[in-house]
Amino acid sequence: MHNGSRTAQSVASVRPLQIRGRFLTAVALHLEGHPDHAFMDALDMRLRQTPRFFQDAPVVIDLEKAQGIDSTADLMALIESLRARRLAVIGIQSGDDVQAQAAGEIGLVALAAGRDAPLERVSRPGKRPAAAAATPPAVVEQPPAPARLITQPVRSGQTVFADRGDLIVVGPVSSGAEVIAAGNIHIYGRLRGRALAGVNGDTSARIFCNALDAELLAIAGLYRTSEQMGTDTPRQHVQAWLDGDRLQIESLK
Amino acid sequence: MSKVIVVTSGKGGVGKTTSSAAISAGLAMRGHKTVVIDFDVGLRNLDMIMGCERRVVFDFINVIQGDAKLKQALIKDRRLENLSILPTSQTRDKDALTKEGVKAVLDELREDFDYIICDSPAGIERGAHLAMYYADEAIVVTNPEVSSVRDSDRVLGLLNSKSALAEKGDGSAVKAQLLLTRFDPARSARGEMMSVEDVLEILAIPLLGIIPESSSVLKASNEGMPVALDEKSAAGRAYQDAVGRLLGETTEVRAVQGEERRGFFQRLLGRGG
Repeated sequence: MHNGSRTAQSVASVRPLQIRGRFLTAVALHLEGHPDHAFMDALDMRLRQTPRFFQDAPVVIDLEKAQGIDSTADLMALIESLRARRLAVIGIQSGDDVQAQAAGEIGLVALAAGRDAPLERVSRPGKRPAAAAATPPAVVEQPPAPARLITQPVRSGQTVFADRGDLIVVGPVSSGAEVIAAGNIHIYGRLRGRALAGVNGDTSARIFCNALDAELLAIAGLYRTSEQMGTDTPRQHVQAWLDGDRLQIESLK
Repeated sequence: MSKVIVVTSGKGGVGKTTSSAAISAGLAMRGHKTVVIDFDVGLRNLDMIMGCERRVVFDFINVIQGDAKLKQALIKDRRLENLSILPTSQTRDKDALTKEGVKAVLDELREDFDYIICDSPAGIERGAHLAMYYADEAIVVTNPEVSSVRDSDRVLGLLNSKSALAEKGDGSAVKAQLLLTRFDPARSARGEMMSVEDVLEILAIPLLGIIPESSSVLKASNEGMPVALDEKSAAGRAYQDAVGRLLGETTEVRAVQGEERRGFFQRLLGRGG
């Protein structure tokens, strides 16, 4: 009680804390089945393909289809193996009561079932007004993200990342180079490296290029390697987009 | 105004040291005061190609570490009065190179020489990085095959991002030109090698010259003579043309056959070449 007067004084002069709302974009990692070796291998492969994708991004684990997470120890083991891969896990979603309690015990937030759509909206505001009317008001409208423009060749070993909007490259993208964007990717030149569009989950993102010789094309995590692009794949003036679960490549002509 | 030119490639064995020797000899022959520096610390080769390995007393690393004066380490070429060689150490490694040390040596050389040719080691680590870091221009040596082209592309990316000029951030850039070495027009025509057009399309930089695959290059190296001094060899003439273009001449680049590969009947009939 000896410092009671000082506390009262500080409340009167400066408030020791302020509370503000904060919206953030998190990455939802959907677990399907057991978090076994196959899952970790798939995750490791994804991390190798897009090393920067998870960098500094808060991760929420979706447990709706997960199996074998029945105790605090199970959840802890999963979280530890994810954190060992430098993923910043902040909570779980779509978990049952047991999982929610387990999350609470190890200091994670248990979120209600979330929608993955807001990510798409954040990167592409105003693109679909009809959908906007249907979404709950919790989503903050952000100004359109500026496109990133690169006017030099993207050389082997270089990575160019447009973390919010579109990426435009005027020049070639070499074999061994990587161009990544939250939105669309436009390449006015030959694409020989890897192009990953819609990396935050925007399934409406597209990749356009003058000439296609890519090592890998990916949209919202769905990818095709050069091996999976047959001889019938168009090579000049093409676009790639997602048709459901299939990455389509078509001539623009 | 002196120029620092790095001869680099990423990949090993494509002809960086041979090209460094030939180009610096070519520059010196045209009356420019030229020095060529071996940055391949621990794998000293330039002095052998230049034929001065028996005259090395002090080296580049001695100068960087203050154990010797620059003038003590510089070796004057016996054939060309305008040419000097700064050999490197065979007993040390790349860690002996420091940014400050390299800068101090280059700044001192700039006072006396018109052209400072930096012979880069292979790779993209410390030695290669410091060889390119202070360059005004780059000669990217590439063989007409995919792995060499990809490595050259990687090096071009580093020149655009990790050089002192690029780090200034005012839009200045290292001027990079391509020197295509070990090229064989006949094999390229048969599709056994990449074509000049393919390489240029991928690297997207100006072409400085095409050096034909030729046994005279190996012979010159073994004799410790820069191949540019061999006027009878097609490779020597190609290097001379490249030097001309480096100095601003606008001659057409032609891919010629190394004369040593001509068949007996071709020679008999006076064709080819």
